[in-house]
Amino acid sequence: MIEINATIIAQVLNFLILVVILRAVAYKPVARLLQQRSDKIKNSLEQAEADRKAAEQTLAQYKAQLSDAQQKAQAIVEKANLTARQEHDAAVAETRKEIERMKQTAQAEIESERNRAFEEMKSQIVTLSLAAAGKIVTKNLDTKENDKLVNDFISKLNKDMFADLK
Amino acid sequence: MHEIGVRETINLCGLTFNIETLKMTWLAMAIVIIVACLATRNLKVVPQGWQIFVEMIIEWLHSQIDAMMGRRGRMLAPLIVGLFMFLLASNLIGLVPLMASPTNDLNTTLGLALMVVVIVHCLGLYFKRGHYIAHFFQPTPVFVIINMIEEIAKPITLAFRLFGNILAGEILIIVLLKLMPIWMPIPSVCWLAFSIFISCVQAVIFTMLSMAYLANAVREDHAEE
Repeated sequence: MIEINATIIAQVLNFLILVVILRAVAYKPVARLLQQRSDKIKNSLEQAEADRKAAEQTLAQYKAQLSDAQQKAQAIVEKANLTARQEHDAAVAETRKEIERMKQTAQAEIESERNRAFEEMKSQIVTLSLAAAGKIVTKNLDTKENDKLVNDFISKLNKDMFADLK
Repeated sequence: MHEIGVRETINLCGLTFNIETLKMTWLAMAIVIIVACLATRNLKVVPQGWQIFVEMIIEWLHSQIDAMMGRRGRMLAPLIVGLFMFLLASNLIGLVPLMASPTNDLNTTLGLALMVVVIVHCLGLYFKRGHYIAHFFQPTPVFVIINMIEEIAKPITLAFRLFGNILAGEILIIVLLKLMPIWMPIPSVCWLAFSIFISCVQAVIFTMLSMAYLANAVREDHAEE
């Protein structure tokens, strides 16, 4: 039952042939495929990492741009506010000046109107006084007292009124 | 195996061959090659079906080799995977009626064991040169006797363990079939199931021990640096 013969050599050769065939047919393709896959996974991971970095960079860029734009907008708003205030102040000042000017004009007008009215009044007073005086004169021409009164009145009128007006 | 202990032989150029063993070996080889071809055709980068299973086996084997042998071990991976598949197929076809395992012949198991030991010593000498010979004389030169016995024992234990297990399994199947009446198949079925288990275990043991022996020769250790 236990006898060693040439079969032992044949079996070793058989096995070595089997190993060579298996290596060519099965082992090499599978090992190559595994290598390929691990390479591919490694590449994919590297690619993903690179993509992530690029995305982060872009995001940072966008954030910087956004904050820059916000600052610019803030500056523009502030500038606009300043301009508006300045314009407002200028307008107020202008209006004040205008009011002042109008007031002055109005005062001057009032003054001249008053003068004119006074002149008119004075002339009317004179006329009326003359008429009154005429009437008194016609009534009491002989009375010396009356003369004196009229004279006094006129002279007083002249002195006081004109002095006030001038 | 039709009659226990009797082998058909042929003579070729003055050499004697056990023809049944050879036929069964070729059958086992054919099965292994067909299975390998079926499992590895249509390989895709994204695995599917059988490919996942094949890849799992090869990944596991690679991790074992890397752990036991280091980076030089990868070149031995086809040998080891071939050894395992061949032994598994050989052990299992003996359980099919009218067939015999190639591994029930000591010529097969001793041939494989001697081949492994020869590869171990060749690789050891190739990679470690002086250190490999020197390590037989450590810690003291007297140990060379014990180390020699160990080295001689390695192929013998490898060969006889596998041979004995498989032959015993087949013999007992025949004995049980002859002992038991045809309406009482339970012991035979139990023994058959146990033989399937033993076939797998013995294939694993032979392969793992071969790996361990090869690892000794191939692994980089501190003495080398």
